[in-house]
Amino acid sequence: MSSAVSTEPLLHRSFREISRPRFRSSTLRPSPPPASLSCAPKSPSFRHARRRCASGSGPRRGGWGGAGAGALLRVRASSSGAAVVEALESADVLFQEAFPLQRTETAKGKIFVRLDQGKDGQNWQLTVGCTLAGKWILHWGISHVDDVGSEWDQPPAEMRPPGSIPIKDYAIETPLQKSSTSMDGDEVYEVNISIKSNSNIAAINFVLKDEESGSWYQHRGRDFKVPLMDSLQDDSNIVGSKRGFDLWPGALGQLSNILLKGEASDYKDKDASTDLEASKQEVRCLEGFYVEQPIVKVVSIRNSVNISVKICPKTAKTLVYLETDLPRDVIVHWGVCRDDSKKWEIPAAPYPPETEIFKNKALRTLLQPKEQGNGFWGSFALDEEFVGFLFVLKLKEEDVWLNCMGEDFYIPVSSTRSSSLIRQKESDSTETSGKTMETNTEVSSTAYTDDIINEIRNLVSDISSEKSRKTKTKEAQESILQEIEKLAAEAYSIFRSSLPTFSAEAVLEQEALEPPPHICSGTGTGFEILCQGFNWESNKSGRWYKELMEKASQLASLGFTVVWLPPPTDSVSPEGYMPRDLYNLNSRYGTIDELKDLVKKFHEVNIRVLGDVVLNHRCAQYQNQNGIWNIFGGRLNWDDRAVVADDPHFQGRGNKSSGDNFHAAPNIDHSQDFVRKDLKEWLHWLRSEIGYDGWRLDFVRGFWGGYVKDYLDASEPYFAVGEYWDSLSYTYGEMDHNQDAHRQRIIDWINATNGTAGAFDVTTKGILHAALERCEYWRLSDQKGKPPGVVGWWPSRAVTFVENHDTGSTQGHWRFPSGKEMQGYAYILTHPGTPAVFYDHIFSHYQSEIGSLISIRNRNKIHCRSTIKITKAERDVYAAIIDDKVAMKIGPGYYEPQSGPQKWSPVLEGRDYKVWETS
Amino acid sequence: MEVSVIGSSQANILKTDLACRELGLLSFKNGSRVSWGKSQISFGRSCGLRNSGVRLTLKAVQTEAIRPQKISRPQSQHGVRLYVGLPLDAVSYCNAVNHAKAIAAGLKALKLLGVEGVELPIWWGVVEKEAMGKYDWSGYLALVEMVHKVGLKLHVSLCFHGSKHAKIPLPEWVIKIGEQNPSIFFTDRTGQQYKECLSLAVDEVPVLEGKTPVEVYNDFCESFKSSFSSFIGSTIDGISMGLGPDGELRYPSHQGLSRSSKVPGVGEFQCYDKSMLALLKEHGETTGNPLWGLGGPHDAPAYDASPSSNSFFKDDGGSWESPYGDFFLSWYSSLLVRHADRLLSLASSAFGDSEVAIYSKVPLVHQWYKTRSHPAELTAGFYNTQNRDGYEVIAEMFAQHSCKMILPGMDLSDEGQLQEGLSSPEQLLGQIWSACKKHGVEVSGENSSDAVAHGGFEQIRKHLSGEDAAHSFFYQRMGAYFFSPEHFPSFTQLVRNMKQPQMHTDDLLSEEEKAKEPVAATSESGIQMQTA
Repeated sequence: MSSAVSTEPLLHRSFREISRPRFRSSTLRPSPPPASLSCAPKSPSFRHARRRCASGSGPRRGGWGGAGAGALLRVRASSSGAAVVEALESADVLFQEAFPLQRTETAKGKIFVRLDQGKDGQNWQLTVGCTLAGKWILHWGISHVDDVGSEWDQPPAEMRPPGSIPIKDYAIETPLQKSSTSMDGDEVYEVNISIKSNSNIAAINFVLKDEESGSWYQHRGRDFKVPLMDSLQDDSNIVGSKRGFDLWPGALGQLSNILLKGEASDYKDKDASTDLEASKQEVRCLEGFYVEQPIVKVVSIRNSVNISVKICPKTAKTLVYLETDLPRDVIVHWGVCRDDSKKWEIPAAPYPPETEIFKNKALRTLLQPKEQGNGFWGSFALDEEFVGFLFVLKLKEEDVWLNCMGEDFYIPVSSTRSSSLIRQKESDSTETSGKTMETNTEVSSTAYTDDIINEIRNLVSDISSEKSRKTKTKEAQESILQEIEKLAAEAYSIFRSSLPTFSAEAVLEQEALEPPPHICSGTGTGFEILCQGFNWESNKSGRWYKELMEKASQLASLGFTVVWLPPPTDSVSPEGYMPRDLYNLNSRYGTIDELKDLVKKFHEVNIRVLGDVVLNHRCAQYQNQNGIWNIFGGRLNWDDRAVVADDPHFQGRGNKSSGDNFHAAPNIDHSQDFVRKDLKEWLHWLRSEIGYDGWRLDFVRGFWGGYVKDYLDASEPYFAVGEYWDSLSYTYGEMDHNQDAHRQRIIDWINATNGTAGAFDVTTKGILHAALERCEYWRLSDQKGKPPGVVGWWPSRAVTFVENHDTGSTQGHWRFPSGKEMQGYAYILTHPGTPAVFYDHIFSHYQSEIGSLISIRNRNKIHCRSTIKITKAERDVYAAIIDDKVAMKIGPGYYEPQSGPQKWSPVLEGRDYKVWETS
Repeated sequence: MEVSVIGSSQANILKTDLACRELGLLSFKNGSRVSWGKSQISFGRSCGLRNSGVRLTLKAVQTEAIRPQKISRPQSQHGVRLYVGLPLDAVSYCNAVNHAKAIAAGLKALKLLGVEGVELPIWWGVVEKEAMGKYDWSGYLALVEMVHKVGLKLHVSLCFHGSKHAKIPLPEWVIKIGEQNPSIFFTDRTGQQYKECLSLAVDEVPVLEGKTPVEVYNDFCESFKSSFSSFIGSTIDGISMGLGPDGELRYPSHQGLSRSSKVPGVGEFQCYDKSMLALLKEHGETTGNPLWGLGGPHDAPAYDASPSSNSFFKDDGGSWESPYGDFFLSWYSSLLVRHADRLLSLASSAFGDSEVAIYSKVPLVHQWYKTRSHPAELTAGFYNTQNRDGYEVIAEMFAQHSCKMILPGMDLSDEGQLQEGLSSPEQLLGQIWSACKKHGVEVSGENSSDAVAHGGFEQIRKHLSGEDAAHSFFYQRMGAYFFSPEHFPSFTQLVRNMKQPQMHTDDLLSEEEKAKEPVAATSESGIQMQTA
């Protein structure tokens, strides 16, 4: 069992550092920037350059040395005979700075899959290859002929090419090797797998992984599948093969990281389908085939642009010298401005060579290639009157624009103003503190400059990663869209909830109940009494299902109608709340067959069964390239797109969470269609395969109730209840009397589910705690004289409880006041709402009292919508009459129900509680 | 290190406040313009920043700086200004803001989405509920304040009608007067009254405690103007004048239509209240046909009937084509035009000096449009038949008052209509639209109902693009369905499609980036991984 649960932030940072990205693609040279580029994106120097120049020692200061001025100096030294350069040398440098440029390049290539017969006519060979440079890994496994489900198996050892690494017990990772052959001049990376024709391998499944980028080339968590045997075997496998082939164009066409350009989609639409037909035919009798698909990989590249501004002493003009290491022809799209408004203006001629006026708005100048051939430069002479030089860069051959953090580059050129301003800003501390403290101020000034550098670095990375690249803008926009969606969801649930009013509900529901109870999905008949059929220790024996089976009849005779079973799936934690492979129902509680038997047994004694389903989070089976556990396995082998994006621990690539995060495991992104579809299928499968009648939904605070509605609509449970557990309101450590906000949050959630599920009445439990613990029974009536919990507002959706596996049992996170549990049960078992009784209490000395309360409830047909009249809520006693048939009191104080038309006779009395019935 | 870039950018996205997000969207909306022609921020300046606090300020400054430019260039030529209607009962009958929390969230969502503004119906029956001249604007002021804070524009619809749907009647004191004097309401042949608005026949009759309805409407408008003076021209950029039933310029000829019948009937003439009959009589006498002025057409079919069920609207030889028909219909329709004329001149004199545009709504009575007589339009008061254009005169009158016309039903397509109804929303829309074009009246669109079906979005899109696109659109209406998962994504799509044209600025840049967009859209997640 692996520890998929938590990754220390520290740890994952170090992981990231280790896997430092190297950007390479076939169409571009490795990006040249030296270390200073990637580490410290160009710290600008505002130092008045005169100092440096005068010293003649060349610029060597802080993080800024090499890449910026150093390069500049080299150019100066080497570029021959340019008058501009001459001029530059003699001038004062007013401004000098290197800006990072971020852009993306697309590398095109293809993935191909080939199956052909080996030389001896016995063996087959599968070749998977890719023409894009990269550290490609084939992550693969096989299916056997008689396999059911979509689990992978590991191939036999002789099938594994050299260099293969087994991953757990079901997959192999084999690196693609650079092939000796080439394809249309491109390097080919490929892997060959030999298949013995007499093996009983039905299919080879794989995904391609690019270790460099960490991208998985798979389709929505589905694998590529190459069927090897189909028609030879029984018919059922044909479906498999069809499915496998259906995936070909689809899967390849929509690989998450592969972008298909226009021609690619054409290919997909036309050629692929014919190819597909052909290859399908061929595979039927296991003939070789060859399929390929163009892919485009996007890589991000950093370049830089260096700017220096000087005054030409001869002409009194401002000279802007610009150079960049961009690889291809670069156009500077530029203008000047007279003031801070940065309004673009076209200066008067003359312009540098290769300049044209663009739409009367800007000038476009083609930069000159540097002599050494690794970059371009240009120089611009401006009249004195201009304050700033504005530009953006464009790669001539491509539609790529490069700007400064989403803005135009703005270079202050006004000699007097900008330089003095900058100098003042940078070193005002120096000047004010005077020269006596020179050494100290020098230090602090350096430190301060470092701060600025950091500041700018952050600014640059923040903004540039968010905006400068179009793709990033797109991403920011996505996050806005998600925000919009969240707001819309909020508005939706409030608008919805304002349709029915709660005061009206009691009446409405009363009427609705009159005809034979119609079972509306998720809320049962209203007469349910729940039993939580496990505690925190139940997993310890390993045979809980069997043990509970023996108690089924007893639970039925006590009067329970619904039992809530522990989470059934494979889980990282033994209790089951860290689910991993959702389709593996062998757990610490027993095997899937024992579970089925147990459910069957409960059904025999007329008890419905709730499955505890954990939809909020799921533990991953594999790590991504950063060592983060966010790749899932099993039948639902999702990747990190199924994980919400806002928990940095798990580096999800999904959307932001629609609820609170559960931090111990990757939170599932329910906004993804494939996730919802898979979960619906799973719930459906649980219903049909296991026979569950409904759900107890774990940690529903973690995602929007609207999704729960979706799941419940799809799985049509008889009864469903969600765990929406958050904190009650306290003021100065004292619980507030008014817990309306708390219950409203629960109500909001129920509303979001469209009322398809109930929720545990955490509010009632909290108020019972305070009332019983502190002898403040007045708390049990709200300002309107109704029960103060959810049960007072929406009784038919409130599942009242005293204790559960988290609050009590051996965890004891929020234990009910000790010794007063029976008062709690006297309350919830006589009151409206659907009561849930905890296992530990059923099988304790409370059993007979609980049994009596249940029989009173059943005998008097008290149900979740029963009417309640609170007759007393004082310091030491609370009393209520339910449906005019049952009277109850809790607390040490005195209470006797008023005998009017009906006569009350006591039926049950215990420690600090008493119950009467009409006679 | 790139690694930290990703980490911090995520954090940044999470942290950004509304202002920043808005900024992000703004720069998206305007394509590259923000980053391009009007750089707001210089690198040089940001260099001087000392701490992150200042950084945020800087962002704020940036948003500020963009705004004025947005105003100075209010809309690009192709841009359609989209307004979303607030719930009809956004301010309840008791003058309280309803579902304020939901509206607050909704407004934010709309702002982020890039919607221009919202439309707010202001009900006569809510503001001047208890007694004449006793106005209570508090609920609406609160709401306008909310809209203002979010930074959306507000279009106000002055509703001098009631709504059964929203459970908002006319003012109590008006209803009381109506009990004494039923002839202030439209009345049909059987004496059934329409109590959701006053009859246009009493416009200038002092039936309301000595004042005429027009005077009362005028006082209402003046009170509105003074109460909202600080918003008018800034947050409030448009006012719709309610002209009749459902705020539309029409007779309530549909009041007796049963909702169950699949094919709506032709409706009935509403000329049977005392005042109308008196006017009709007078008209008959002045035109020398006193006998014709004694009542409405005797051979008009009942509400739910088809045109041919009686002789008045018959395609062939129906009385509508007779001299009597012309006599009656031209009178009936001219009253409607005169009514509109009165109210629009009232509006233009009340708001003409303010910086707001005035709008009014003309209904799209598309049922039976494919018959020769257009009976549904005739009963509604539009003398528009095969032989005669009934909308020119209305467009002309709108033009006189510089009033823009709101046309509902822009989501309707001919295909979506029942064959038997012989209806053609698209043709009718085309007819009214061309009349507007001829007279230089700007057209704003609206959808027909609270629920736009799927084809409807396509239809709306059609009307909002191209040469003669509507200049603004009122999308009806915010509420539970609007934000529901079934509907909201389609709406988002609509908005984004509408924003698209705005991205075509004269800068090449945006086009080029746009061309790249599909790539970016599908790859964004991948890129993040790759840089990580």
